[in-house]
Amino acid sequence: MGDFKLGLTRRRLLKTLGAASATMAAAQILGEPNAAGQEPSTQQPAPEFTGPGANPYWTSPGQFATYPQKVPLILLTDRPVQLETPRQYFLSTFTPNHAFFVRWHLQTIPNAVDLKEWRLRVEGNVERPLALSFPELVARFKSVSVAAVNQCSGNSRSRLQPRVAGGQWGNGAMGNAQWTGVKLREILDAAGVKSGSVQVQFEGLDKGLGPKGFGSNRFMKSLDLTNPVLDECLVAYAMNGEPLPMLNGFPARLIVPGYFATYWLKSLSSIRVLDAPDDNFWMKAAYRIPDTPRGTTTPENMKSGKIATVPIARMPVRSFLISPDGSTKIPAGFPLRLRGIAFSGYGGIKKVEVSIDNGANWSEAHLQQDAGEYSFRTWSLDWTPKTAGRYQLAIRATDAKGNIQPDEGVWNPGGYLWNKIERQEIVVGDAS
Amino acid sequence: MRTRKWYLVAVTALSILAARGLYADFRAGYYTPAGPETIHQTLPSAVSTDATYDAGQYPIYYPELAAGDGKDEVENNCELCHSPRYITMQPVMAAQAWSDEVNKMRKTYGASIPDDTAQKIIQYLGTHYTPETRKR
Repeated sequence: MGDFKLGLTRRRLLKTLGAASATMAAAQILGEPNAAGQEPSTQQPAPEFTGPGANPYWTSPGQFATYPQKVPLILLTDRPVQLETPRQYFLSTFTPNHAFFVRWHLQTIPNAVDLKEWRLRVEGNVERPLALSFPELVARFKSVSVAAVNQCSGNSRSRLQPRVAGGQWGNGAMGNAQWTGVKLREILDAAGVKSGSVQVQFEGLDKGLGPKGFGSNRFMKSLDLTNPVLDECLVAYAMNGEPLPMLNGFPARLIVPGYFATYWLKSLSSIRVLDAPDDNFWMKAAYRIPDTPRGTTTPENMKSGKIATVPIARMPVRSFLISPDGSTKIPAGFPLRLRGIAFSGYGGIKKVEVSIDNGANWSEAHLQQDAGEYSFRTWSLDWTPKTAGRYQLAIRATDAKGNIQPDEGVWNPGGYLWNKIERQEIVVGDAS
Repeated sequence: MRTRKWYLVAVTALSILAARGLYADFRAGYYTPAGPETIHQTLPSAVSTDATYDAGQYPIYYPELAAGDGKDEVENNCELCHSPRYITMQPVMAAQAWSDEVNKMRKTYGASIPDDTAQKIIQYLGTHYTPETRKR
């Protein structure tokens, strides 16, 4: 009886309290918030930023756009399509297909594919040219899977100083997926590579409007037949257990574990064995890096014409803090869990370290699920900031080959290979 | 009697909480206008069981180019191969860098743009998209 009474009274009390609070809140909101006195506690729309300084944001500061089979992604260009993945999608080992970044080179990209007609041709310098249908591709060869990071060569291009032309990506031109398909080597063996062959060239269904013989007409990439990465390549027809989204290369794409995405041809339609090195624009002129340590140089050295270049290949080691992302003020004494990812094209992550004092001291983070040497490796580190202040967090990874992320950026005319130590300011406020 | 005692304790405790609530500092009730955003919804009935896998058309998000001489030439030439977002996305660049870009499109990518038209495009980009002149 007493409890019942108490319940009633308490409810009435809370009701009164609620009304009083609402009145109080109303009293406080008379008048606009003071710009100087109000701190944003959530993310704000990023003002447009086009330089000439380095892009200060984690991603490109563009608008969101909604594309087929995709959640809203950050729009870089709409024809051909280039879309960047927002930071929040990198908390997990595998990047969801619907959030996976998109980058095409030529304007005429597939909207639809008729699998009755689609064939993967294996041609050129081979004993038995093949035209594999989708069911043949799936059934004729052994199914294998690999977890591998797909990262645009120009990921983080907007960090370079001086800025360079090209897709102005922040950090979101990357993703990790479990790719399932068949070994490229098995397909090549089925066709029989003739002796005297030097490279294998890949082409997809995308076409450009430029004149024949120019890079604006066809997009093709090649790998040396002596390159050991060929043994690790897959022709993948599944991405995280699902069909590939059209914009990520339905019905099949090439997977080149450890290599930048430029080689991962989408909507693959042709595997061509060459008896002479590929001299098409996309090999001879584009996607080349200075033949210098870390592929870095200066605008002056490039202009001098003395810098030799080589085709871009493996991805240097990188790591990122994903959460917290700096958009929320953290109360002093709050037990934070720092979370992020790391990867390297040189085979696996050995160590991730975090600094809360801008790189003066480093603590080793806990490495989580190991999905393979070419996968994102998630990491975490618990940190309870004791006092209010602005903390400059820095994250660095070391890969299995002992490569450690440097604290210097790179510069090359293509805007490739960025892997400088990432930083994030975390604002901690008083809790009392 | 015992019940009454607990009742008083509870009321006192809740009164303290209520008082704290009254004087708690917080801000509430702010909203701001925003543009429309849409999510694509799945319409399973629109998909047939044949061998065609169709993602539909890709949207165009046409950017606002700076008004001025040469804008027509940009629209009639550059946009044949790519969206004008390839211009608005770029970082601000010196006039010379824009000239290099236009010449790259002509020589490297084979864009058939006559000399005088190319000059107008270069002039336009070098007028509106440099560190000194870019509006937004």
